[in-house]
This record gives sequence, C-alpha cells and structure tokens, in this order.
Amino acid sequence: MAGKKEVTVVTYRGIFQEVEEAQGMYSDGYRDQSALLYLDGNDAKGLGIEDGKPVLLENDSGKVAVVAKVSEEKHPGVAFMPASPWSAQLLSGEVGEGGLLELKRFKANVSSAEVAVVTSIEEIKERIGAA
Amino acid sequence: MAFCTGCSLLCDDIEVDFEGEKVKRTLNLCRKGRAHYDSLVVDRLAPTVGGSPATIDEAISKAAEILAGAKKPLLFGWGNSTLAAQGAGIKLAKKLGSVIDDPSSYSQGVITEKVLAGELPTCTFDDVRNYADVSIYWGDDPSSSHPRHLSRFSYFPRGEKRQRGYEEDREAIVIDVRKSPTAQIAADGFFAIPPAGDAEFAEALMATLGGKIPKVGDKKKMLNLGTKLRKAKFGVIFTGLGLTHSMGGDLGPFLSLVGKLNELSRFSVIPTLSDYNTRGFNQTLFDETGHVNSVSFGGGVNHGPEFGIAKYLDSCDAVMVVGSDPAAVLPATLAKKLAEVPMVAVNSHRTLTTDGAKVTIPVGVAGLEVGGSALRSDGVKVEFDAVVESDYLPDVEVIERIMEAV
Repeated sequence: MAGKKEVTVVTYRGIFQEVEEAQGMYSDGYRDQSALLYLDGNDAKGLGIEDGKPVLLENDSGKVAVVAKVSEEKHPGVAFMPASPWSAQLLSGEVGEGGLLELKRFKANVSSAEVAVVTSIEEIKERIGAA
Repeated sequence: MAFCTGCSLLCDDIEVDFEGEKVKRTLNLCRKGRAHYDSLVVDRLAPTVGGSPATIDEAISKAAEILAGAKKPLLFGWGNSTLAAQGAGIKLAKKLGSVIDDPSSYSQGVITEKVLAGELPTCTFDDVRNYADVSIYWGDDPSSSHPRHLSRFSYFPRGEKRQRGYEEDREAIVIDVRKSPTAQIAADGFFAIPPAGDAEFAEALMATLGGKIPKVGDKKKMLNLGTKLRKAKFGVIFTGLGLTHSMGGDLGPFLSLVGKLNELSRFSVIPTLSDYNTRGFNQTLFDETGHVNSVSFGGGVNHGPEFGIAKYLDSCDAVMVVGSDPAAVLPATLAKKLAEVPMVAVNSHRTLTTDGAKVTIPVGVAGLEVGGSALRSDGVKVEFDAVVESDYLPDVEVIERIMEAV
C-alpha cells in the first residue's frame, strides 16, 4: 500500500562515501554514496518502496529525492542516511542547549518518488546560494 | 616513510611512489587514505576574486581587504590546517578582534574540552595498543571513519601487555543505533540503542555497575557487560558524534558513568575526531584561552555558544573559512546564511563552501605537498614533510600574508 510515513532519520558517515568525497563533491560517485536512505524492510514494504528505487524525503526544512535501500537489519520507524548535503537539506538549524546543532537526527516523511530523478548537487548548490 | 593526513590517526608508516603527479604504488594506506592521496589531482581549488580567475597575490589582497573592512568577522574551520596555520589564525583573530571557531562547536568540542581540562581521563593510542583490554566505541564507527583504528591500536594488534590481541586479550564493545561495520566486528559486543537513547543506556549501565538490575536492554547481556567492565584492567571509551548529539551537549550521565568506571577500574576517553588536526586547533586555542572553540577576541577573550558558527552567522559581516566545508554539513538555512556573507575560502580543493566564496585561495595538501605538524586525536604531536613537489603555498604562509595585509 503506497503512501507516506514519518520516520526518524539518523545520519552516519560511511567509508565508501568518504572515498568518493575525496574524488570530488560533484562526482557521480559521491552522489551515489550520499543520496541514500536505508529503510526497514517492513516500512519499505508498507510504502510500496523497492530497493534501488527513488524516494521522496520531506519535512518543514526541505525535501530531497534519494535512492532507497532496504536494510537486512530490522529498525522499524527509523531510517539511516549518510551525512551529506542531501541530509543537510532536512536539518532544522535549531540550536539546542550548549549551542549544539542537531545534525545527527531528524524526522521526515518518506514516500515513493513520482519522478525517478535524484536531487542533484547542483540543485542543492542553488538552494543554498552557493551557485 | 610518509604520513597520511586523511584522518586524525595520522598514520606514519606509509610508503608511496608517484609517477608524475599520480600515485603509482602505496603500502599501508587504507582505502580512505589512498583516496586522500589520489585526490591530489582531483578538483583542485584555483585563486579567484568575485568568481573570476585571479593571481594568488590578488586573492590574498582582496581577502585582507574583506576582513579588515568587516566589523564582526568570523574565522572558521582549521581542522585541516597545520599547527603553524592554526597558531597564525588565532593571532589573526586577535589582530582583527574577531570570532574564531571550528566544527567542534557542533560536534565533539564538549568532550574534547573536558579531556583537555583534565575532567575526563585520557591516554594515547600507543597506551591503547599496549595495555587496553576493553575498547568501547560509543556512537562511533572508526572502521568507516578511521579505517586503521582497530588494526593499529584498539582491537586487533598485539601490544606489550596484550600479546594475544583480539583473539583472547581484548574485548570490543559497540554502543550505537546502527549495526555499523565496527559493530559487526564486535559481534556479541554490540549493544543496539534507540535514537537518543544514550543517556538512558548510560544510566542503566551505572545501575548495573552498582549491583542493580538495569531497566533497559537485555538484562542478562547488560549484567555480563557490567561484569566485563568491572574486571577490565585498562579500558578506553572512544566517543563519536552519535554520543554527543544524542545527549544534546549535556554529558551528565556519561560523565557520571566514566567516574563510576574509574572507581572500579581504569577507563580513559579519546574522542574520535574527523579532520586530521581538529585536536591541534582545540589544544592550541585551549592553551591560549581556556576554551576549544567559539571564542571572541573583541574586547578581551569571550566565550559562549553565541560565538559558535551556528549563532554567529546571524550577525557576522565577513567570514574566512580555512580547510573546512561547512556548507556541505550545516543545515540548509545556515549554509544559505554563510553564502550571503562576504566569504574568503582557503582550501586545497573545490567544495560547496568554496563555490559560494567571494575569494578563493588554494593551498597545498599538508603532509603530501607541504610539510608541517599536527596533533593526532589522542594529542600526540607528529611532524611531517612533503612527499611530492608542489607549487602550492603552505596554509601558514597564506594566513601570515593575510595578517600582514590587514
């Protein structure tokens, strides 16, 4: 059954992403290792999302289209995403006590993307005014 | 032997041969380190002013003009800078009466400051290799971020008092929300916690160490963990972003746990820092001011979250970013603010941040193209030479020339 579901997204750094970053932030390899979302198997099934297909991730801060990966481990209601310019589009910018920004965790709605195009780094660059 | 500045382990046993500008053969580099070396010929930054090509002299002159003309400049970055450049950056901040900050203000600065202040016991990686029998990786995945961490120091090697290595002499414990590559190595030593569950886990572990039944987690597994920690002869906790962000800057439960562990045994803390010389900047600024980040030199030394990049972007009127890419990691709203402020970017490579800068100034890659020194994330100082010829300026020279011109 397709639809959307709110998940808690936790970010992390992966070695393959770090390797591709060294080859340039504008490389296809960096995008392929960064614009990812690891979903719980049952969550993905409930949303009609297949491994390798694009998904839309959105909240009040922004939205991005990334590629869904279905985890072997169970983590219902929680999704994992490499920390990158893609995940940064969904961070609130709120500063908590002690001045610490929340960079590791955010809530977002995930759904199957209608258009099979992953958000490009150039689009992100325009959004943040770095173009 | 060459060094690798690909992460804060600063591996010193690297062999590398070049064929022209490209790496031909390497020995002992991890996958991430090899990518760092290969990046010498990828996406290098060029000097620009206002988006147009410029000479280095023109770019430095314009950078000085922007900073000297600002009333509230911010000097940010420094984790990928040599100790000499960091020292020059602090002098420049004093001369300008500006704010100086680094990414530790939104990552592990809160832990590092307590380590430097002596409020958290610490040790070196060499101590870990020789003596540690329990390594706890908390919200930390060094197998991904610091790929030789476990093999050189914390789990696999045979050390002076740990001749049987991981097979018999060492325990790996991973506390994380995700079954990371490090958690997979730890196998039964992996403790899965829910997002933001770190404080609750620390309190449960405290209860276990106090002889009580823990309220969270697998009770039998938690009690076994308590027994292992009580029996540890030399324990180390490696902290990652997962811990500091989960606790939102309030480390109370973690500090209490470390205190309790040191009543029962000996446990040290080493933050796993991402950039190769984050510890160097934090140590240098701490020695100068008593703080590791978020310092203003406007009217004496002032410190507080209002001088961290997250808040100071609201009021600063010029930014110099050195060896860092905050536009790629900060929330989009803050990255946008950063791009709206006149910005000078000093870096070896093109990044999202440099693309938003009014002035870009390229520098050589430390340890590969230019020499210098740095502190590993355990605080040990290393000095390195260049291993390949380069026309790029050292970062310290760029900062000193800007300082002379302001």
